[in-house]
Amino acid sequence: MLVSSPMKQSLRYQQLSCQLVVEGLPDLSAGHGKDDLGILTGWSLRWAGRPELEGQRDHLEALVAAVLPYARHLVSGLRRSFGNPSGPVWIEPGQDGAHTLHLVSRQSGQPTLDLQLDDAELADLVRVLDQFRLDPRLQLAMAVPPPQPLRPHELIQRLPLQRRLAAPLGGMAALALAAALAGLLAPPPLPAGRPLAPATPAQGRS
Amino acid sequence: MAQVSLPLPSLAEAAQLPHRSADPNPAGSLAKPRLDAAKPLPRRGLERLDLMLLCLESLDLNGGEALVWLSDSLGFSSRFPNRVELWKRRCHNPMRRACRRGELEPGDAEALMRILCGMADRLYPMLRSLLSTTEPAQLSAERWALFEARLGELLLERMNPRRSGVQKLLDPQEGAAERRHLVQSLAFVAGAGGYERLRASLLDAAS
Repeated sequence: MLVSSPMKQSLRYQQLSCQLVVEGLPDLSAGHGKDDLGILTGWSLRWAGRPELEGQRDHLEALVAAVLPYARHLVSGLRRSFGNPSGPVWIEPGQDGAHTLHLVSRQSGQPTLDLQLDDAELADLVRVLDQFRLDPRLQLAMAVPPPQPLRPHELIQRLPLQRRLAAPLGGMAALALAAALAGLLAPPPLPAGRPLAPATPAQGRS
Repeated sequence: MAQVSLPLPSLAEAAQLPHRSADPNPAGSLAKPRLDAAKPLPRRGLERLDLMLLCLESLDLNGGEALVWLSDSLGFSSRFPNRVELWKRRCHNPMRRACRRGELEPGDAEALMRILCGMADRLYPMLRSLLSTTEPAQLSAERWALFEARLGELLLERMNPRRSGVQKLLDPQEGAAERRHLVQSLAFVAGAGGYERLRASLLDAAS
C-alpha cells in the first residue's frame, strides 16, 4: 500500500503481528521516479500489544542485518545470537524456544527494550523485512549479506556439547581401558638366577 | 492524502530481482551470483527438501495437486508437465522407499525449491498457527496432532521405515523437535524472500 503526499512516500508492509511503515522521498537527482523511495527519512514498526518502534535508517539496517541472518541460521537448526551487543539491535535465542530482540535507544537514559518473540512473531517480522528489501520501489543500497551455506565447524555447533565431546572422551576411555588391560596381562617375570640362554647362531645355513 | 495500491512483486518476479546489498553497482550483483547455481544438492539437502515438501502435503489434503498447479503457475510446466515427473524428481531423496540413484539436476532442484517457497507462502497462515504460542493450548495441541498424524501416514506410505531418520521422525517423543523444526523452517522460507535462505541451508552439507 502506498500513501503519498506531494513528495513524501510512505510504504507499508504488514503481517498479522507487525506492520512496518517506511517513509522517505524519491531521490530525483539520482533519476528515481516519483513513486520510488531513495531517501529514507524514518520508519516505524508496530507490534500487536507492544510499544511502537521508531528510528532512522541505520536502526532499520541494523534490524535487517541481525534478524535475517538469525532466521537463516534457524533454518539450518543453529541457534546463535546476531548483531552487536554494543550496537542498536541484536537478537539472541531466549528460553523455551523463544527469541529475544534487544533494541537500544539513542536517547540517553532510556533502558534497552527487550522483546520476547515466539516463532510465529519472528516469522512475521522476517516476512515483513523480506517484503521491504525486495520491494522494487525502494531504491536504497542496503548492507544485507546474502545467505551462505554453513561451514562444517558451524554445523557441528548444532550438536550439544555433551554429544560433541562423547566421541573423543569415549575414545580416550577406550584407550585407557586397553592400556590397563595390557598392564594386567603382562607376561610374568622370569625366575631369578637362571639367565637366558644366548641365542645360538642359525645352523644348517648353506 | 491519496491512497494508491501498488502490487508487491510476485514469487516468479521476485526470483528475477537482484538481492539488495551494499554493492554500489547493482549490475555487478547480477553478474556475480553469490551462491553457485550449478552446485548440486548434497544427500542431506535432498532429504530435507523432500521432507519439507511432505510437510506441506500434510498440511494441505490436496497438496499433491497444489504442487503441480503451483509448478505450472511458476512457469515450470515444461520441466514438470505432470505429477509423475514431479514425483520422479522427489524420488532422489535417499529416504524414499523407491529411491532413484544419481544427482538431482540443479535446475530441477531450483524449481522444487521455488515451488516449496511458493507453497509455504500459500500455507503460511497454517504454519503460523502451529508455531504461535498465543493460540489456545488445546487448539494448538489438536492442530499438531492432526498434522503429525497426517505426516506419519505419508512417511509410512512413501519413506523407507528402516532408515533411522524416518524412524526418528515417526517417534512421538524423539521426533517432536525435528517435526517442529521442519514447520519452523517452512515458516522462515515462505515467500520470495525465503528462497535464498532455503537454498543456503540445503547446501550446508556441501560446503
